Amino acid sequence: MNRLLNRRFFGAALLGGTGALTVQVAIERMRTSGLLADRRKPRSRVAILSADSYAAGLETKIADGLRLFHFDLCGRTVLLKPNLVEFIPGTEVNTNPLLVGAAADAFLKLGAKTIIVAEGPGHQRDTYLVVAENGLEEQLSKRRMRFVDLNRDALVRVPLKTRFSGLDALWLPRTILAADFIVSIPKVKTHHWAGVTLSLKNMFGVVPGAAYGWPKNTLHWQGIGQSILDINAAVPIDFVIADGIIGMEGNGPLHGPPRHLGRIVLSDDSVAADFTCTRLMGLNPWRVPYLAEAAQFLGNGATERIEQLGETPPKTVRPFSVLPEFAYLAGKAI
Amino acid sequence: LSPNTPGLRAALKALLEARPKEAHWLWRLKFQTTDTHVRFDASKYGWGWVPGSVNWVIPTAMVLIVLERSRRLNLVPPNELKRRVDLGHAMLLDRMCPGGGWNAGNSVVYGVPLTPHVDATSLAIAALRSHYHLAQVRQSLSWLLAAKCSSTYSLAWKILALRSYLDVRADVGPALKEARDQLVALVQEPAQIADNSTLALSILALDENSDPFAVERPA
Repeated sequence: MNRLLNRRFFGAALLGGTGALTVQVAIERMRTSGLLADRRKPRSRVAILSADSYAAGLETKIADGLRLFHFDLCGRTVLLKPNLVEFIPGTEVNTNPLLVGAAADAFLKLGAKTIIVAEGPGHQRDTYLVVAENGLEEQLSKRRMRFVDLNRDALVRVPLKTRFSGLDALWLPRTILAADFIVSIPKVKTHHWAGVTLSLKNMFGVVPGAAYGWPKNTLHWQGIGQSILDINAAVPIDFVIADGIIGMEGNGPLHGPPRHLGRIVLSDDSVAADFTCTRLMGLNPWRVPYLAEAAQFLGNGATERIEQLGETPPKTVRPFSVLPEFAYLAGKAI
Repeated sequence: LSPNTPGLRAALKALLEARPKEAHWLWRLKFQTTDTHVRFDASKYGWGWVPGSVNWVIPTAMVLIVLERSRRLNLVPPNELKRRVDLGHAMLLDRMCPGGGWNAGNSVVYGVPLTPHVDATSLAIAALRSHYHLAQVRQSLSWLLAAKCSSTYSLAWKILALRSYLDVRADVGPALKEARDQLVALVQEPAQIADNSTLALSILALDENSDPFAVERPA
């Protein structure tokens, strides 16, 4: 399996034009040097919650879902990291602000001391315009929550624990590094370069534009998949609340049509969350190169290592449409 | 710009020598053959945010404004300066969104036209002031004049850009006044403006005696 995955990763890197041979050599070097130490839990937990809309009752639903995980958040600072890219009227680009608000209420109810919402939009430099137009500003002011623009936060140089991108360190926002508990709240979408964008890809938003440009261009050229792996190895996500109520299919992450999925996915393992979301999208997560590689050391992808706490996954799903280049993602979702 | 500005020669030289990935023929070949989902002419390039990346609208526009201002100082080889400025202008014109204005970099991805951003459009049209005779620049100015925005950051950029066009169209003055009134209202509560650079930018935009982003046009 490993060799097969490496070949896929190699192929994707070649298509991305990022020096595939270098990447492959780097992966092998990481394996032999112990940089790819297995951080997977024996078992990860995922809860799939049905939610038809963003209407009232979302906070109770999320709080009930969170209780299944038996956290102790008393006195802790919880950082919510939604996916804000840019505001395009009529499209489902960003994490729905009502879900972010409901998640904040739920964490406070469970004893969290402070909630911070933080994001560094990858595309639009005017962060506050995105926050306002998307409707997040209303949720923030209603709860007097602080928003941190990660594109312009104070920075700390963090040596990388893996070397997929070829970089040995990243400048990362102090707010992210200081948070007690990081919650990735992605929008469930297809992605025209990465295949799918979920909780792991959402962490691209913690990389500061002030250091790497808009989009986070340096990392794009080091390889999107490779950078996703390095970022997530450096900044582990503590919890995931994936917005799959209305996702995006086709030409995501900006211009695809909305797709009603009617699900919220919670997990204490970002890889398990992304595998579950991809399966709900009717796509095969093992065929997304960065997910397949993440499941080798970061978290669990195999169903036998994922405990379902909420609803049972649906027996059949109507697959999300993908661009022709990603037709290979369809197929038996294992 | 004054020729006595410390370090100016070295800084200008560094800007002239900075090359985005598109400057290399291998990358141009890649964009022309295998990586064709983004519509643009890779032979027209400007400047990236950081070394080792491709070019983008905002850094290109900022560099063009400075290079135009430095033209009369003769601190760097004039032929090379002209070549890079012309290439940079050509890059901006090539990346304009259908209908006017600029997004972050390209204008059409997977066949879908991207929407313009106020900040990128402001800087691009400031850098293209000497090309106002071109239909693309006029169209983009029209887009910017009509663009509604509620954010301090974008309004400040819009004001700074429009100032360079006061002498060419009658509708620039009223739009500028409207944007200024909006910005004045926002800066009345500086605590609401989360980042200091945006507040500083607003002060520059509201200072009628300064025009920090004006392009010096060749005589």
